[in-house]
Parts: sequence; structure tokens; C-alpha cells
Amino acid sequence: MNELKIYWSVFKSSLQAKMEYKLDFLIGMITSIMLQLAALGLLWVVIHQSPLLGGWTGKEVLFLFGISATALGTAELLFNHIWMLPYYIVMGDLDRLLIYPTPPLPFLLISSPVLHSFGNLLTGMVLLIYCLSHFHEPWYIWMMVPLWSFCGTIIYTSMLVCICSLSFKFIGPYTYNLNFVHSLLQASRYPLSIYPNWLKYLLLFLIPFGAFNFLPGNFIFHKLFGLFGAWIAPVFAALSIWIAKQLWTWGLKNYQSTGT
Amino acid sequence: MRDSVFQTLTPMDRFKGYCSFLYRALQANFTYRSSAFLALLTSIISYCFTILIWRYVYAHPSPRLTISRTAMFVYLPLAFCLNFALTTNIDIRIGQRIRLGLIATDLLKPLDFQFLQMMQALSDAFFNFFLSLGVFIVAVLLLKGNLFPASVEDFLAFLVSVFLAFIIQFSVLFLFIQGIFYTNSSYGISASRLSLHLTFSGISAPLTLYPLILRHIGEWLPFQNIIYVPISIYMGKYHGLALIAALVHQMLWALGMYLLGYWVFKWTLRSIEIQGG
Repeated sequence: MNELKIYWSVFKSSLQAKMEYKLDFLIGMITSIMLQLAALGLLWVVIHQSPLLGGWTGKEVLFLFGISATALGTAELLFNHIWMLPYYIVMGDLDRLLIYPTPPLPFLLISSPVLHSFGNLLTGMVLLIYCLSHFHEPWYIWMMVPLWSFCGTIIYTSMLVCICSLSFKFIGPYTYNLNFVHSLLQASRYPLSIYPNWLKYLLLFLIPFGAFNFLPGNFIFHKLFGLFGAWIAPVFAALSIWIAKQLWTWGLKNYQSTGT
Repeated sequence: MRDSVFQTLTPMDRFKGYCSFLYRALQANFTYRSSAFLALLTSIISYCFTILIWRYVYAHPSPRLTISRTAMFVYLPLAFCLNFALTTNIDIRIGQRIRLGLIATDLLKPLDFQFLQMMQALSDAFFNFFLSLGVFIVAVLLLKGNLFPASVEDFLAFLVSVFLAFIIQFSVLFLFIQGIFYTNSSYGISASRLSLHLTFSGISAPLTLYPLILRHIGEWLPFQNIIYVPISIYMGKYHGLALIAALVHQMLWALGMYLLGYWVFKWTLRSIEIQGG
């Protein structure tokens, strides 16, 4: 309980500090909305040419865009600091975290929310509300969507932690490997049925972004997988946390400070 | 002080200064080549998803498709290579220097700041060009020669067009960079330019495939002159007067954006304060 209080106060003060820069908040928000619109622009171009994508209509694909945007926005708001880990390892800044009386990973994750996350959250919510109302979805789907989205946040962050844990062994101030995870998240905004099998299975089982958007989407729009699509996301989220924790522990064991 | 030193330099001195800056920027790029290589790899992976989406669309063609499969899969690798070659990090670099206050030392140099940054961008472009050449060669091997230019004239016009595209790309970046003087983080400024570039440059698809409204908006912005126009020239889509008109159009955008950047920067300089700490 005490740890939770510490995390909350760290998160709150960090967010307050960032909110001081009001122009940054405004620009960050507008920018992330613009980036989402750019991605929607490509979807528009693609749908303009091919009205059905792997059996999904444009409006159904909007659901995938919406849930991915909210998952990304929540991850950026709550757990974004993992992107700095490779730099901290190189500079020896991680030492500071290791002497705090709290587990270092959650502390690291929550201590630097980014302001553009609100733009992703807003765009995602607008898309989801539009999509769910357009298809007259029943109340229980409206209740499930935040759960799927949060599972997406957990899966995405866990995958970033897994990849970042390699930075303990392969030291360098690079975040390109994290960009790879981010690219996969962007790819999962399209129905996985349009991709070759190897990529489809990669996004369903190994880096399971499909578990929080594609499979629930299948359930909502009565396509494949039935109830399995609705309940699998929390299972994958729990599994992702476990794997991320194992890799983080392995990585920390390999950590050698810079000695500075 | 700076202006008086600037006036004592001969044009040759200034030229030597810019060349020396370009040379050192290139050296710095080569020092961090592994980082650049990783950036290329990440960009390729990201772009592969775009190619896979179009692969699906062309596997299930609709009558709306106005571009042949061959033309599309020639356009996409070319667009990727050109986009990567024109990618520059000056916004990140200048952003860092503004935050750390190091911009003061840059402004004291007796050389034109905007032109110096263009030299930096040129060194990035040279370096990225050689990296993207590797991707181009792989694409040529995969597409069995379809990637070669339509004719020698088209290739020469393409070279001119790429040079103009570089100036437009740099000038747009330089214009957006001015915003970093007023914000704490450079992310928002960089990403807003990126979102417009991604939508209107033609990096993910030729603009002829765009819905009419997007195409009309794109015509009022400089971005299509960075990717779509040079690649269309390379593929031989412009002939005679249309080719000259496209190049003149690019030239006007390049000149206009460069001058706009110059005037806005002059205005920005008046309002910045540098702490003497």
C-alpha cells in the first residue's frame, strides 16, 4: 500500500511538472492527434482503393485504430519512461533508481508521463465511441472495451520492457529496438488477416497485439473465434507481465554500473 | 560583434567555413554509423508493413485502382529510398542545443546560421543516400530492373528535382524548428511536421490514389514536392512542358520556403533571450 502511495505521488508530481509547460501540452496534444490523423489518412487512401480489408469494412477497421490509440495513449501516460532505459544504462543513471526503497521497474515506468499521450487517448476514444455507436453495440461491449484497451497497454509496455531488458546485455544509447515494437503496434491497427501467416502468428502469439484489438474485434463484429476473442486479452496481458518480469530480473543481474 | 566579423570575411572564407562544417558533419555521421544503420533497419521494417498492406490490396484488386501493380511496387521502394536519403536530424540537434543553451555559441559564429544548418542537413542526406543505395540495389535485384529510370533525360531531371526536394525538405524543417524556441520539448514540433509529411508527401502511396479532397489539400502544401514529384519524374510520368512546369513549381516552393524560413528566423531571434549562466 505504501509503495502504491509512493508511485502515485511520483506520478502526480511528474505530471504536474510537465503540465507547467502549457504550450507543450497543447502542441503535444495537437501533434499526436495529427499523427493519428496521418495514419487514418493512409487508411482512407487504402479503403478508397479496396473497400474490404481482409473481410473488414473501413468502419470496422476504425475500431482497431481506436483501441490501439487508447492503449498507446494510456501506455504513454502511465508507463512511458521505459524508453529512457538504454540511455540510463549508458550514463549510469540507473544506480539512483536501484537505491530507492521501492522495486525499480514500476518506479521507472511511472515517473515520466508524456503530454502527447492525451492526444492519442482522445483520438482513440472518439474513434471507439463513433464505432460502437455506429454498430449499435450492446452495453456489455461498451464495458469490455476499456478492459481490452488496458490489456493492450499492459501487453505493449511488457513487450517494451522485454526488449529493453536486452539493453542491459547489449549496451548502447539506442531505442531503435523499441521502435520495432512500436511499428508492430502500428501494424496491428489493420486486420491481421491481410498479412502473411508468419506476421499474423507473430502478432497473435509472440508479440500478441492482436489479442487486444484483432481478436476482440472479431468477437464484436461476429467474425471468427467467438467468445475466445473476448476473453483472451487478459490472459495474454498476464502472461506478458510474467515474461517481462523474468527478462527484467535477468537483465538487472547483468547490469554493471558505469562506475561514475 | 558577430556582424562586424561576418563583414570582414571574404566570400571565399565563408565558402571554406561552410565546406569545413560540411566535412566535419560528415565525419560525425560516419562515427555514428552503427546508429544510422540501425535507424535504416527500423525504417525498413516499418515501411514493410505499408508494402504488405498494398500487397494485400493488389492481391484483391478493385476497379478503382488506377495504378498498375508493377508501377506501384516500383514507386514504393523508390519512395522509401528517397525519403530515407532526405531524412535529417537537424530538428533534434537544434532542439537539444536550444534546451542546453548551446545555440548561443552557434549564433555567435560569423556564418549564416540557416545555411550552416543546411550544410548539416546536406551531410545527413549524403550519408543516408549511401545507406539507402543498399536498399535500392536489393530492390533492383528483386524487381529485376524495373526500378531503373524511364530515360536518361528523366534521370537528369530527377537529379535536379531531388536537389530541389532537399531544399524544400530542409526549409520546411527549418521553419518548424523556429517553434522549438518557444517550447520545452522538441517532440511536438518535430512530430507535427512529420504527420503532414506522412500524409501529403506521397511516401505511403502515389498521390493519384488519394481521395480528391486529400489531393486538393496536398496541392496547397509543399510536401508532395519532396517525394511524389521527384519519383514521378524518375518514373517518366512528366514529359516536355509538364516536366518543366513541375521543376519550376518545385523551384518556387524551394525558394519561397527558404526565404520564409530566413525571415521567420530573423523575427524569432529578436524575441529570444539567452541566459548568461
